Amino acid sequence: MSRSTRSLSVVGAMVAEQRRAQASQLALAAAAAATVSAAAVFLLGLSGWFITSAALAGAAGSAAAHAFNYMMPSATIRFLAIIRTGSRYVERVSGHEAALKALAALRPQLFRAFAAGDPTRTLALSAGEASARLVQDVDAVQTLFVRLSSPWAFAVGALAAILMATLASPLAGLAVLLAMGLAAAGAVVIGRKAEPVGRQVQAETGLFKARLASLAGAAPELRAYDLVDWAVEEAAVAGRVLDVARADLARYAGWMAAWQAIVQGLAVGMAVLVAHPSAPALVALAALAAVTGVEAAAGLAGALRENGSARMAVERLDQLAAADPSAGTGRPEDMSLATAIFGGSLSPPARVGIIGPSGCGKTSLIERALGLRSAIPGEWQVGGCDAADLVPGSGRFLFAYAAQDVRLLDGTVRENLRLAAPGADDDTLWAALDDAALSLRFRLSAKGLDTQIGVNGECLSGGERRRLGLARAFLRDAPWLVLDEPTEGVDAITEARILERLDRRLSDRGQGLILISHRLAPMDLCNVVRRMGETAAISREVEPAQGHR
Amino acid sequence: MTSQAIDSGPDARAWLKSTGTAAHRERRLASALTLADIVPATGFAAGLALCVHALTQGAIAQALGWIAMAVVAMIVRGFLARQAADAGIGAALRIKSDVRRAVLYDLFTGRRTAREGMSGACEGVEALEGFYARFDTARQAAVIVPLLAIAIVAVASPVTAGILTVTLFTFAAGMALAGMAAAQESRNQFAALERLSGLFLDRVRSLPVILAFQAEDRSAHTVEKASDELGRRTGKVLRIAFMSSGVIEFFSALAVAGVAIYCGFNLLKLLPFPVPEQLDLARAFFVLAMAPEVYMPMRRLAAAYHDRQAAEAAAPRLITAPAPVAAPERTLLIDAPSIRFRQATVTFGQAAPVLDGFDLEVRPGQIVAITGPSGSGKSTLLHLLLGLAPLSGGSVEIDGSPLPVEGGFAGQIAWASQAPMVVPGTIGDNIALALRGASTRQVLKAASVAGLCGDLDRMLDERGGGLSGGERRRLGMARALLKPASVLLLDEPTANLDPQAEQAMLQVIKAAAVGRTTLIATHSTAVMALADRVVRL
Repeated sequence: MSRSTRSLSVVGAMVAEQRRAQASQLALAAAAAATVSAAAVFLLGLSGWFITSAALAGAAGSAAAHAFNYMMPSATIRFLAIIRTGSRYVERVSGHEAALKALAALRPQLFRAFAAGDPTRTLALSAGEASARLVQDVDAVQTLFVRLSSPWAFAVGALAAILMATLASPLAGLAVLLAMGLAAAGAVVIGRKAEPVGRQVQAETGLFKARLASLAGAAPELRAYDLVDWAVEEAAVAGRVLDVARADLARYAGWMAAWQAIVQGLAVGMAVLVAHPSAPALVALAALAAVTGVEAAAGLAGALRENGSARMAVERLDQLAAADPSAGTGRPEDMSLATAIFGGSLSPPARVGIIGPSGCGKTSLIERALGLRSAIPGEWQVGGCDAADLVPGSGRFLFAYAAQDVRLLDGTVRENLRLAAPGADDDTLWAALDDAALSLRFRLSAKGLDTQIGVNGECLSGGERRRLGLARAFLRDAPWLVLDEPTEGVDAITEARILERLDRRLSDRGQGLILISHRLAPMDLCNVVRRMGETAAISREVEPAQGHR
Repeated sequence: MTSQAIDSGPDARAWLKSTGTAAHRERRLASALTLADIVPATGFAAGLALCVHALTQGAIAQALGWIAMAVVAMIVRGFLARQAADAGIGAALRIKSDVRRAVLYDLFTGRRTAREGMSGACEGVEALEGFYARFDTARQAAVIVPLLAIAIVAVASPVTAGILTVTLFTFAAGMALAGMAAAQESRNQFAALERLSGLFLDRVRSLPVILAFQAEDRSAHTVEKASDELGRRTGKVLRIAFMSSGVIEFFSALAVAGVAIYCGFNLLKLLPFPVPEQLDLARAFFVLAMAPEVYMPMRRLAAAYHDRQAAEAAAPRLITAPAPVAAPERTLLIDAPSIRFRQATVTFGQAAPVLDGFDLEVRPGQIVAITGPSGSGKSTLLHLLLGLAPLSGGSVEIDGSPLPVEGGFAGQIAWASQAPMVVPGTIGDNIALALRGASTRQVLKAASVAGLCGDLDRMLDERGGGLSGGERRRLGMARALLKPASVLLLDEPTANLDPQAEQAMLQVIKAAAVGRTTLIATHSTAVMALADRVVRL
């Protein structure tokens, strides 16, 4: 966290860029906000002056009343009222529009940054924590745009109020200046106090969501061990901590409002106290200008209160978006793969099986070759180049990967398959589903390839998800097919059918195969089978390379 | 889920109202404090008016006295506002807590899906804060305070009070219209927002796949499109919202300006029409200072309007059936019981039945392996006994007694799956969760039978850090061993284990099954070999 200081912040830079991109609208918002403050001050000040002067003129008799120029002030009052509401509308629309556009641009940029950075950072987050960062933290960044106009509103409001008060007496101007200073100082002090609470809100949201996700995944155990009430209590306590932090933050808003009212009271008191030797109409003007001037600090106070949340959110997003400093510059030159366990360099159509006890690191080894985990120098030669020296992601075109932990997009079957082959027609997609022994499932469904599969395929069974992942890998035109436990959770008959089709597919295309499984049936497809030892790095050959055909 | 959230306006309102009664004291306090604000507001206006009046009379000492009163009134206002906000926050805090507990209960007892339950317990509950902390009090104040303020104004100037009353009605009508126009747009926007957060989250979670298939650009483009759409929709809603609040402010500003001009002309005695009152400066100034107070509560209400919409949109996800009053049956059977399924059918919602007319009779003490293609309902069968899957037809009995409506046979069941829950704490703490008041000896014994040797004081984090896949499985088995239950249910106890680890696990399963009736959902032939009977679904 300490790394992400302002200058190194990737997300901070994105925010700054969006501020520049939306500069004209943000400037318009700021100008409008400033106009609102000034118009409000002039409107009330002028009204006070007008009434007092009118009263004095009226009291002085009908001649004085007729001599009193009422047209100008009354027209100006109406004009200011219109200006104030119009500007407020412009301020709100352009400020929020700029923020919305900026945020709309920020999300895909963040996505690209997450994809380009070290993916293990994003993936190491629990589901709950990831959700907190992508939903609540991104939302919290919004305030960095909307509130940009608040200092302008404050400054111009203050200036207008000081100017008006100075009309009564320079001392009154000073009094209002002092009041504005008090208002701003109070906002800053309260904002500082609120900052850690705002940070806490963002962090607690992540903790609560993570706790919730882990407990929700264990519903049968909670039931069997009579732990439902305990789990409700555990999660409720975590939620309560978040609620209390939020409530504390909201209470600071209460203090800010209280402080503003107090300063308004002091401002009007001081203005009258020092201006009273002047004409009563001007004193009224100064008093009312002082009251409205302090109101202009409200936006500033709100912005300062949200500072903590916004800063924390940027830091938390930064942790995911920071570029990988270890990126190399090499690119693969051919389709060969080599690592210690292979015992040499292999190229398609070689078929390698990797077996070994669970937890010995088979999956991690493969994912380092694909650049899904940080490479270890010297471990893999991908296309004749050390994987650690590759431009990030440049070796991925070599692989079509069906992971053990199947991840599916929330969308239709077609969308999921097209991920691997953007231009593929429906016949091709059905053929891949056929080969994964999954086509019947969707042919029977009314929507066919348009069947929605839910978040990470929640509408499918475990075996169906695995086979959809397999069909997806089949569709990618890559030299190596990498299958990690492709038939786990699939019954024996289906497994046999899948393996038979797989064999034909590989032969037809001359595709290489890297297969990880602890089941023996799939290993029959391979012409080289290697066993990984108890530790990831050591491997020994127990079964000699056997010809499949 | 989203479409559901869209059409339950009246239900949502009724629910929000009844839910609010839980904190009626805090809410009443918040309302009372908000209403009380009219007193210092009047004090401030009067102090200021009398001060200016005294200044025109040259009575400086009096003027300073009046201004002191205005200052004090303003300070009182500040504290009142803070206290009112505090009371509102307190009300929201209590209501959120209650609602969250109910949602959590539903989530952990399988009454709603994990996704629905989790978004309900977090974002859904969050949406209530603004409603109870701000909108609720603002609504009450908006009805009463303007009338009070007009009544006070009437004391000084009945004509001004009349003007304000007329504008007030146009004002209220305008607000209602604007609110209605914004409602539909805002619901659409809420749906779009949910879609986008869902999409963004989904694509980031699928990052390994997207990277492996080099689909970064296409996925970023999808996110961009959805994000743009959301931006456009939100823009539309905001335009309407700002337009309506702009109209409100416009009228309030014009009304205040109108009052100022009326007072000015009245004081100048230049009104072009006869009025039954002649104002003096004090009364005119007072009326002018009070006029904005008439509109302030309505402006606050308009500003809090989106709090209401967010709460109404979230409400359908939060409405829960009352938790069962009777606790699930806890009588422990000493001997292994028989289990009988007769034409048991499980259907989730409108989908095709997951389990259809299933028949099985398990004799006391038998080990039955249930196998079948993935998706054939093995896990559902086990969940049925725990009351986590709905029995929509047929019957299930243990030792002749039917499945209780709430909680299934949970009291008699020990359970282990392929991914046992790990909570922050020691391994010993994690095992002991299975039996309240378990002694250290009992825990140690369960751990050693399950093959969890070594340090039981080792700390674990939530994601099971520090445990291998095999050890985690053993932790689950240790829990099953610790609980004195006569039925043992195992869900894929050896999936993803290599043959060696599987063999070791089989020994633990054998030990755990002694004296119990056991059902095992499995694909493993080794596990099937251990069973007395294999049932294929």
